[in-house]
Amino acid sequence: MAGEYALRGLAVPESLDLLQDLLEQVRREHPDLHETDVSMFETAIVEIHGNVVEHGHPPGQVIYAFELEVSADRLVGILADTGVAVPDLSTMDELPHELAESGRGLWLAKATLDDLQYARMGDRNTWKLVRNRTDA
Amino acid sequence: MEIEKTDRERGITVLRLEGRLTMVSAPRLKSVIDEAVDSGHPRVVVDLAAVTFMDSSGLGTLIAGLKKARQADGDVRITGVTQQVATVLALTNLDRVLRAHPTVEAATDGW
Repeated sequence: MAGEYALRGLAVPESLDLLQDLLEQVRREHPDLHETDVSMFETAIVEIHGNVVEHGHPPGQVIYAFELEVSADRLVGILADTGVAVPDLSTMDELPHELAESGRGLWLAKATLDDLQYARMGDRNTWKLVRNRTDA
Repeated sequence: MEIEKTDRERGITVLRLEGRLTMVSAPRLKSVIDEAVDSGHPRVVVDLAAVTFMDSSGLGTLIAGLKKARQADGDVRITGVTQQVATVLALTNLDRVLRAHPTVEAATDGW
């Protein structure tokens, strides 16, 4: 994908802020985007990248690359990382107990997108995030 | 994220948060809630009016705080819920556990 926006670096907690700053830039440069679409896409990417930061192995050494394309009808993001661990995809389909303190991230990512795909491609984890635009 | 803490009477603490509540800032919020409960203020109001974004780590921290506060006969109540936060609460079915109050005063009602 020829990403309109791109970011790469070490998957550490601070990289979440960089991703969110990038989404702020998207808001500024695409004022026609519905805020709900941007904030729901932001929710999903923060959850998925947060999962990489928290569970990526080896910790602090995983490299991520993110690309985002804004088109007339949708937002498409590709997030790849070099972590050796495959994420626990079972948490995408089931919410934990209401007083659980974790385990909701991938559920939330799936719920805020129109399509979420995961693939292990070579030595990389790759996520594709799609949010259809409300006004398209 | 900024956290402004105000202790009130009857074991009430009001925390006004500003900025992004994510895995970057959530551990700090956890420390502040723990400290409030441990120092005899288990009735905690978290004012989210200036929170621009919350993720599941923020949510988990509020749940952890709520459990700790309830063990000390208190509670965690939230107010100032913005659209993104309201959606996150609704999609995870936690809007019933962390019910949004319209104002800080309404949140402290009955305490």
